[in-house]
Amino acid sequence: MAARRVAVTGAGVVSPLGTTVEEFQRSLAAGRSGIRRLAPELAERSGVQVGATVDWNPAPLFSDAEAANLDRASQFALAAAAQAVAASSLQMENLNRDRIGVCWGTGMGGAHTQETSYQQVYGAGEWRVRPLTVIMGMNNAAGSNVAVRHGLRGPFANYSTACSSSAMALGEAMRAIAAGRADAMIAGGSEALLTPGILVAWQALRTLAPADPADAAASCKPFDKRRAGLVLGEGAAAFMLEEESRARARGARIYGVLTGYGNSCDAVHMSRPDRDGQIRAMNEALREAGLSPQDVGYINAHGTATAVGDVVEAEAINAVFGPAAREVRVSSTKSLHGHLLGGSGALEFAAALLALEQGILPPTGFLDQPDPACALRHVARDAERVAPPRAVMSNSFAFGGSNVVLVAARA
Amino acid sequence: MDTLARIRQLAAKEFSINPDGLDPSAPLDTLGIDSLSFIEFMFKVEEEFGVTVSDEDLKAIKTLSDLERHVAAALTAAGKV
Repeated sequence: MAARRVAVTGAGVVSPLGTTVEEFQRSLAAGRSGIRRLAPELAERSGVQVGATVDWNPAPLFSDAEAANLDRASQFALAAAAQAVAASSLQMENLNRDRIGVCWGTGMGGAHTQETSYQQVYGAGEWRVRPLTVIMGMNNAAGSNVAVRHGLRGPFANYSTACSSSAMALGEAMRAIAAGRADAMIAGGSEALLTPGILVAWQALRTLAPADPADAAASCKPFDKRRAGLVLGEGAAAFMLEEESRARARGARIYGVLTGYGNSCDAVHMSRPDRDGQIRAMNEALREAGLSPQDVGYINAHGTATAVGDVVEAEAINAVFGPAAREVRVSSTKSLHGHLLGGSGALEFAAALLALEQGILPPTGFLDQPDPACALRHVARDAERVAPPRAVMSNSFAFGGSNVVLVAARA
Repeated sequence: MDTLARIRQLAAKEFSINPDGLDPSAPLDTLGIDSLSFIEFMFKVEEEFGVTVSDEDLKAIKTLSDLERHVAAALTAAGKV
C-alpha cells in the first residue's frame, strides 16, 4: 500500500493574540505581545504578576446554558475546532464519521471547574458541588466535547504530557490517518488554568518571570541574556488533518503536509531538560519526513525563557542541524502568546504554518540581547518575510521529559 | 539548637546526607543538590523559621552560612529573636 500522507486542511485558534487564525497570525507578523499584568484577584494571592489571557466572550458561540455546562478550556476547544472544520469546508454530516476521529492534548483539563469545586468544599465548607463537576472537569472533557459536537465516531485519544500534550495529539492523529485507521482527524489542544490556586503552585516552582518593570508585555524573553522565566498563557488551537489524496481530490486548501513526528523521553529528570532526548526527537521527525536539516527553513522553538531550557534547546538544535544551524531561522513565539502548556504544541504549530504557507517568520519578541550560549539564527524582535521554506519544525519539550517534534512540509 | 544547626539538620533530612558532613562554607551547588530539591528545601526553611527567601534573596545565598545569615537577619527584623 502506498504511504498515506497527511494534509492540514483547516485551522482554528483561540489565543491571547486573537480568537481567529487571521488575528493570531496578524499579531505574530506585527510582533505584538498578548502578555499583560494579571488582574489583582489573581496576582495578589498567587504572587504571579503577568500572564497571557484570552479576551473571551462565549456568547456568540454558546447560549448561557451551554456555556454554564462547559469549562473554559472546553469552550476554547470547541471554538477552535469549529473554526478548523469551517476552514476545511468539509461537510461533516455528509461524511462517514466512523472514519473521522479526534486527538486532543491538555495539561490540566477542566482546571477552572476543579478549582471552583475545591473552593466550594475546602474553602466555603459547603460539601455540595454541581453534578456536572466531573464531566466538566475531567481531563478529556475538551476533546470529548469536540467529538460529540461534530459526531466523530473514529479513533479518540486524549494526551496529557504537560507542555508536549497537543504536539503529541497532532503527531498521533497523523499516525492514525497514515495507518489507515482514519481518513481525517481533528487534532489540537487547549489549556485554561489561570486560577489563583493553580498560579500559586506555579509560583512555588520559582520558574515564572516577574513583570518586566519597563513593559509588562515584554516579560517573556526567550534566548535573551535578561530572560527571567516563563509566562503562563491560555487558549486553544485545532487542525483538520486529512489523508492527502482525498484532500487534493476535493480541491481543499492545503496549509501543509504534516510529515514528521518525533517522540522521545529524556528519562533523566522530572523538570530539567536533557539535550540528548531533544536531539533524538528532532532526528526522528526529520527521518520520518525524509528530510535533511538543510530542508528546514524555520524552527518554532520550545523556548520558554528559562535560564537552563533555552541553552539546552539551542545546543540540541546545533547538534542536529550541524552547519545548517547557521541558516535555519529560529524563534520562540512564547515571547508573544505565553506558554499555553498543554495547548502550546498546537498553537505553536499554527505559528509554524504561518512561516510554511506564507513565508512570514514570526519573531522572538524583545530579543535585544541574545545570550551567546544560545547560538542560533534568531528571528529577533520583528517578523521577517522570506520565500516560503520547504519545511518547518516545531519543538515541544515538557516537564517529565517528554519531547515531541513536528515537521511540516510545503503542500 | 542554633539557627545554623537547625538549617544543617533540615538540609541533611532533605538531601539524605549526614549533617556532620555538611560544610557551611561550601558552595551549595557543590553539594550535589538537584535544582528542584533545592527550591523544596527553601520552602521548608521558610516554613521552619517563618521567614521569606525571595528569588532576589537567593541571588546572594551561595552557602549554608549565607542562608543562616539571611534567616538570622529576617528573624531579627521580624522581632523574633
